[in-house]
Amino acid sequence: MRGGTSATLHEEESLGKAYDARLIRRIWPYLRPYRGQVFLALLILVLVAAAQLAQPYLIKIAIDEHITPGQLEGLAAVAGMFFIALLAEFLLRYAQFYVMERTGQNVVYDIRTAVFGHLQRLPAKFFDKNPVGRLMTRVTSDVEALNEAFTSGLVMILADLVKLVGIVAILLWMDWRMALITFAILPVMLVVTWQFRSRVRSAYRRVRGVVAKLNAFLQESVSGMRLVQLFGREKANAELFEGVNGEHLGAQLKGVRYDSSFSAVAEMIGSITLAAIVWAGGGRILQGSITFGTLVAFIDYAEKFFRPVQELSQRYTTMQAAMASAERLFKLLDTEPTIVTPDSPKSLPRPMRGRVGFDGVTFGYDPEQPVLHDVSFAIEPGQKIGVVGWTGSGKSTLIRLLTRLYDIQQGSITLDGVDVRELDLEELRRSVGVVLQDHFLFAGTLEYNVSLGDPRITPERVREAARAVRADRFVERLPKGWDEEVRERGSNFSMGERQLLSFARALAFDPAVLVLDEATASVDPETEHHIQEALETLMQGRTSIVIAHRLSTIRDADRILVLHQGQLVESGTHDELVEVQGGIYRTLHRLQTASVA
Amino acid sequence: MLSRFWQLGKPYKWAFLAGFAFLLLTNGLNLWIPWLLRDAVDAMESGEPLSTVARLAMAMIGIALAQAVVRTISRLLVLGASRKVAYDLRNTFFAQLQRLGASFYDRNRTGDLMSRGVNDIQIIQSFYGPGMLNSLNTTIVYVAVLILLFRIDVGLTLISLTFYPVLLFVVNRLARHTYSRSVAVQEQLGEISSRAQENLSGIQQVKTYVQEAREIQVFSQLCDEFRTRNLALARTRGSMISVMGIASGAATLIVMFAGGQRVIAGSISLGDFVAFNAYVAMLAWPTIALGWIINVFQRGAGAMRRVDELLNEQPDLPVAAEQGAQPGFVEGDIEIRDLTWSHPADEGSEPARPALRNLNLTIPRGSRYALVGPVGSGKSTLADLLARVYPVEPGKILIGGRDINDIPVDVLRRSVGYVPQEAFLFSQSIRDNIALRDPDASDEVVARAVTAAHLDGDLAKFPQGLETVVGERGFTLSGGQRQRTTLARALVGTPPLLILDDTLSAVDADTEKAILEELMQASQDRTCLLISHRLSTLSGADRVIVLDEGSIVDQGSHEELVQREGLYSRLFVRQQLEQRLDVR
Ligand SMILES: Nc1ncnc2c1ncn2[C@@H]1O[C@H](COP(=O)(O)OP(=O)(O)OP(=O)(O)O)[C@@H](O)[C@H]1O
Ligand SMILES: Nc1ncnc2c1ncn2[C@@H]1O[C@H](COP(=O)(O)OP(=O)(O)OP(=O)(O)O)[C@@H](O)[C@H]1O
Ligand SMILES: [Mg+2]
Ligand SMILES: [Mg+2]
Repeated sequence: MRGGTSATLHEEESLGKAYDARLIRRIWPYLRPYRGQVFLALLILVLVAAAQLAQPYLIKIAIDEHITPGQLEGLAAVAGMFFIALLAEFLLRYAQFYVMERTGQNVVYDIRTAVFGHLQRLPAKFFDKNPVGRLMTRVTSDVEALNEAFTSGLVMILADLVKLVGIVAILLWMDWRMALITFAILPVMLVVTWQFRSRVRSAYRRVRGVVAKLNAFLQESVSGMRLVQLFGREKANAELFEGVNGEHLGAQLKGVRYDSSFSAVAEMIGSITLAAIVWAGGGRILQGSITFGTLVAFIDYAEKFFRPVQELSQRYTTMQAAMASAERLFKLLDTEPTIVTPDSPKSLPRPMRGRVGFDGVTFGYDPEQPVLHDVSFAIEPGQKIGVVGWTGSGKSTLIRLLTRLYDIQQGSITLDGVDVRELDLEELRRSVGVVLQDHFLFAGTLEYNVSLGDPRITPERVREAARAVRADRFVERLPKGWDEEVRERGSNFSMGERQLLSFARALAFDPAVLVLDEATASVDPETEHHIQEALETLMQGRTSIVIAHRLSTIRDADRILVLHQGQLVESGTHDELVEVQGGIYRTLHRLQTASVA
Repeated sequence: MLSRFWQLGKPYKWAFLAGFAFLLLTNGLNLWIPWLLRDAVDAMESGEPLSTVARLAMAMIGIALAQAVVRTISRLLVLGASRKVAYDLRNTFFAQLQRLGASFYDRNRTGDLMSRGVNDIQIIQSFYGPGMLNSLNTTIVYVAVLILLFRIDVGLTLISLTFYPVLLFVVNRLARHTYSRSVAVQEQLGEISSRAQENLSGIQQVKTYVQEAREIQVFSQLCDEFRTRNLALARTRGSMISVMGIASGAATLIVMFAGGQRVIAGSISLGDFVAFNAYVAMLAWPTIALGWIINVFQRGAGAMRRVDELLNEQPDLPVAAEQGAQPGFVEGDIEIRDLTWSHPADEGSEPARPALRNLNLTIPRGSRYALVGPVGSGKSTLADLLARVYPVEPGKILIGGRDINDIPVDVLRRSVGYVPQEAFLFSQSIRDNIALRDPDASDEVVARAVTAAHLDGDLAKFPQGLETVVGERGFTLSGGQRQRTTLARALVGTPPLLILDDTLSAVDADTEKAILEELMQASQDRTCLLISHRLSTLSGADRVIVLDEGSIVDQGSHEELVQREGLYSRLFVRQQLEQRLDVR
């Protein structure tokens, strides 16, 4: 993003043609659970409309029966009725507003948690391609835009329609010829709306796309702010931000253009109708075919008629914005989680033995570019296996495949004889305890970071595991000890401390298969030594896979696998491997012992 | 905060003013229509020919057309300006983010900052756009309608508006609620945003440790709270709108009753009555709109508070760009004098234990120093302070005899090639990542850095080589590749001081050794500070500093330290022992 010239992750692909009907059908299931409330709101709306529409008619009565004939008596009664209608209108309106708002919030809650839940199920591959900021936009502002669609969109549009139908009926009933004049303008309105539709949509689609880009840029800049500053990139970065921000401005201004003219045109059409009513009504009054009261009521109703028509135009833009968000949300929800528990998962034998098998495994993050080629090995229960190889040779990839963060393209990976793709995903991941190479702590307390909220992991167990890896020493020095809050990703702890905590976590869970990926890379030799000792007892009879650059950590392994450019090139015990003439292990070993001497 | 609103709008005052002028015009036109209506009704009543009515109707159509044009222009001007205000504010916001130092980011969460920069500014934009537009509209309509009403009948006007003062009182109370409740809503949105950000950026860990269910549960709780807060806000908004509606409807009621009597008494004409009624009806909408406007303003104020909070934050370090670009490097001996330092603590919590205590150290120019010590002993903290990630008191750290606080920040940062322990890459090409300091760096410079970091072998395997775009944080590279890319990045621009914080921990020992040896040879007069847990690779250092619990417990050459009984020899023997065992 910062280089300006190179391709970036932040551009989003464009969407195809917009189908509103289909989108509405997609939204419906989320509304369904609340259909009772929606109908209630609609019902209240009908009442509101009735209360509202009674008002001009009462005025007509007041004029025709009391004011024009000069009959004061009874005017008070009409006024009283008017007051009741008024009060009813606004109390009902409040009720309707609240019911609708609650429904909207409920629906939004459901959608937001659904989107978040869906994200949790998407495979790691998806996250390689989608910047965090973009996905955050989906969960925050896109969902908020949908909220607008519910509270001031969908139902209000229905409400307006109900009101319109009511007015149409009354007008027709009062004087159908005048009524027809009033409605003559409606087709024009429809044509105008149609014209605006696609443009407004595409403007809002762009806005949504750019907001995601803005978020992605912000997210990355804030997470990497230390580097931005250390490398004096502030100015260049500000320019890039201004670029994205400018794109956002451009998209917004385009929306404003359509927005402004659309509502003005709607208003104009209303005024023209008024003129038509006066014109036609004037003639009819002269002929004596209608009363003044009727004309006044007509004008009033026409006002009430065009208010919703105008508002419909406004709501229409809101809806378009919401639809643009809905499109993106549903596109995300439509992304198939490719790595899921199969329909009828097989279960692992109890107690687990911990046999791991890789058989002819070929895998590439990009299928065209395999990073592992035909890798086969078997780990017997209770064995300790070391994995070595130059950096980038595919060691961490092996682990990601075993825990099924990615699915392999060829071959099979088995745990206790069951293909990992046939296992329950949670069961699989719980049975394999991993200390990842990347240092990351979860939001929460230190204690939570070890126990992960699992009730089986008692505070005693946490402390015991911590003691084994010597994490207790630094925790106990903290003012709040185990209750200390972890900041974003664990940034308030030193790298080694973070690693020790992950280690403690893996031990506390006591998994059948323990995997350590450079688990002591950021740890001093003395602590490392303690951990090694503790592990020896803890790992007795447990399958473990240890990836290490420091050969000392794996010298006593039952077997050592040597990976080179994604291929398993050597395998055997330490003593066997050092004897292989021209072997990689031998070379690595010679270099390392030489450096000590 | 009010001044911030003013300050932001100021550059666009002409657009706003012109927009308001057009708004005035469009409202004038709008008000003309009932006036014509009155004339038409009176004409009909007095039995004038249809042509008079027709003429009036034509006039109405003409006005409607003109009004549409004028309204479009006014909206374009005001709404357009509001977008530009938001644009400016976002730029200012981002610039401020870049001025703030590490201690600020220790205290604030990424997701919340993003929410302020995107969602809160969005709300502020509504303040300037629809908010301003409608408030002006409302004021104009109010004033004009009142004048017209008074012209028709003063007494009737006064009684029909009796309800309005009550309204002011109620609205004032509701407005305060709106403010505090909308701040609460925005804060919660920030929480949601933070949680999502932390979850998504650690998704691999979430999956590996099967934390999905728990994450969803926590997230749902946050959303639930968000819903509750939104509904609380909705309740005040709903009552506001209803109260406004009732007040305006009451006016119509009074007109009907009192006005009707007047028509019967003959003190006003039927035409007046109709027009009066129409004007009072015209008040209804702006009155309801007023409720809405108050909402927008209060929410805008709430959002502004959150943005303002950030804009008022004082950077704890001078900002490079504001000091003016200074050429050159700073070189010379590094002196640390009696440095005791602790991480800035959160407000309200007790101060953190000092990460460094009474440190005294001199690193002569051109020498290679190694920094070792157990986990959490303060090594990275010292490196951070040397690169001025956090501020230190004056007189504690000097480079070439100059206090670190007196060295222009950009000169210092250019002079220090610091590779922080956490290998962070941006989601751009590897080349752009390496040339971060200087995007115009020649291919040769980049190639040299790549070779020095032993990255060429890896790059050769990537189909796009240097142009390979990495994932966020560099997560599509292996651990060692990522670390070596950050190393290459620090080498561009040949800084005279190099700090490597455990930069090669995920690299095999042999590559590490080769890289370090070449690096030392290539830069004879460069000062180097190496932090590592692999003591064997540090044996080439001129001097080794041993840190424990924030204090220097020993120092000397590798040989000296090995001889002495102490932490270093203990660590070294431990490591050596382990490696020796290999040779068994
Ligand atoms: N998410 C990803 N998308 C695309 N390529 C990837 C991804 N993760 C790793 N790679 C590539 O796959 C190869 C193997 O990476 P892996 O992380 O398995 O290496 P490693 O042996 O663990 O190395 P190290 O010792 O440096 O940690 C590397 O070339 C790396 O660039
Ligand atoms: N941002 C921070 N806020 C508060 N405390 C911190 C912060 N960063 C580090 N610490 C604490 O300061 C102490 C020193 O940390 P530092 O990162 O300097 O250790 P280190 O020597 O680099 O350790 P390691 O070998 O694990 O990298 C540790 O106890 C750590 O918990
Ligand atoms: Mg790895
Ligand atoms: Mg450190």
